[in-house]
Amino acid sequence: MINFFIGLLAILSTVGIYMLAKKINEKVPSPFTLPILIATIIIILLLLLFHIPYDTYMIGGEWLNQLLGPAVVALAYPLYVQRNIIKQIAMPIFIGVLIGAFVGISTGVLFAKWAGFGELIIYSLSPKSVTTPVAMDIADTLGGAPPLAVIFVMIAGIGGSVLSSVIFKWSRITNYMGRGVGIGSASHAIGTAKAMENSQLEGSISTVAMVLSAIFVSILTPVLVSFWI
Amino acid sequence: MLNIGKIIFHIIILYCLYFIGNWVQDTLDLFIPGSVIGMILLFILLLTNILKVTWIEQGAQFLIKNLSLLFIPVTVGVIDYFSLFAGKGVRLIGIVLLSTVLVMIISGAVSQWIGNRKDLKHD
Repeated sequence: MINFFIGLLAILSTVGIYMLAKKINEKVPSPFTLPILIATIIIILLLLLFHIPYDTYMIGGEWLNQLLGPAVVALAYPLYVQRNIIKQIAMPIFIGVLIGAFVGISTGVLFAKWAGFGELIIYSLSPKSVTTPVAMDIADTLGGAPPLAVIFVMIAGIGGSVLSSVIFKWSRITNYMGRGVGIGSASHAIGTAKAMENSQLEGSISTVAMVLSAIFVSILTPVLVSFWI
Repeated sequence: MLNIGKIIFHIIILYCLYFIGNWVQDTLDLFIPGSVIGMILLFILLLTNILKVTWIEQGAQFLIKNLSLLFIPVTVGVIDYFSLFAGKGVRLIGIVLLSTVLVMIISGAVSQWIGNRKDLKHD
């Protein structure tokens, strides 16, 4: 029974803090006030301040986590609505994502190797550009640590979403297709959530990129890791 | 109130597809996660009109609108790994960010470039 109330409290505070973070983002629109970033920081600070272990928070967090699976399934809906446009631009999306998967694994592995990190870290870091469940599976298969893989996935997701508007402006990637492919290939579902806020079409392309990327990275990672190490 | 009931009903349908996706993954021992299989399955069901779009529409819109919220609990998990990023480990953040930026620019630029070329040919 006590767990029920802890869980309820954790969910209500998470939702409340998320709504607050959205308000802050409306008042001060900036990449650094991305709601997921602000909300995560506030919750971490609260947990540290009141000495609440992560496992206790997750009694409630797990409920929200449970909705992540059906939410990924739900991404088929915008895909279906935008299907005719996506069909016309299937080739540029496919090639962009394939090259992105190659770049993501190769640079991740090589940079970590050059910086002197061991195989456990390299294996956990290599699938960072794909959505959490896939990245965990890939890291596990290679001999990395799935919880560590999740952390790198989160850095790629939040970091990419925060930096995306500046990067697209700077690199002159202006059309919805380039932006959708870029953010979906680099920052998976968190990037897709950001793209969805820009437009449904950009979000749908990001969804396609994210799914394709998950498939390409699953196949390419074992090959490229053994090639580069 | 009617709308909330609708949203819950739609999410239950999406949940069923998620379970089927997981089951397919387990049974066939696939590397693609169950949620992605569920998504592909839903897409096929919508295309073939076996599942009407009105059966999942509001629930799907509700979940997608709040997608960022659903990621927060996992993200807060960073809290257990602060020690990893102490000292030399802090470089890992830079490595992941740099690699992410490169992926974003190169994949985005490539698809934009191919897309533009295709448009030119049509003109």
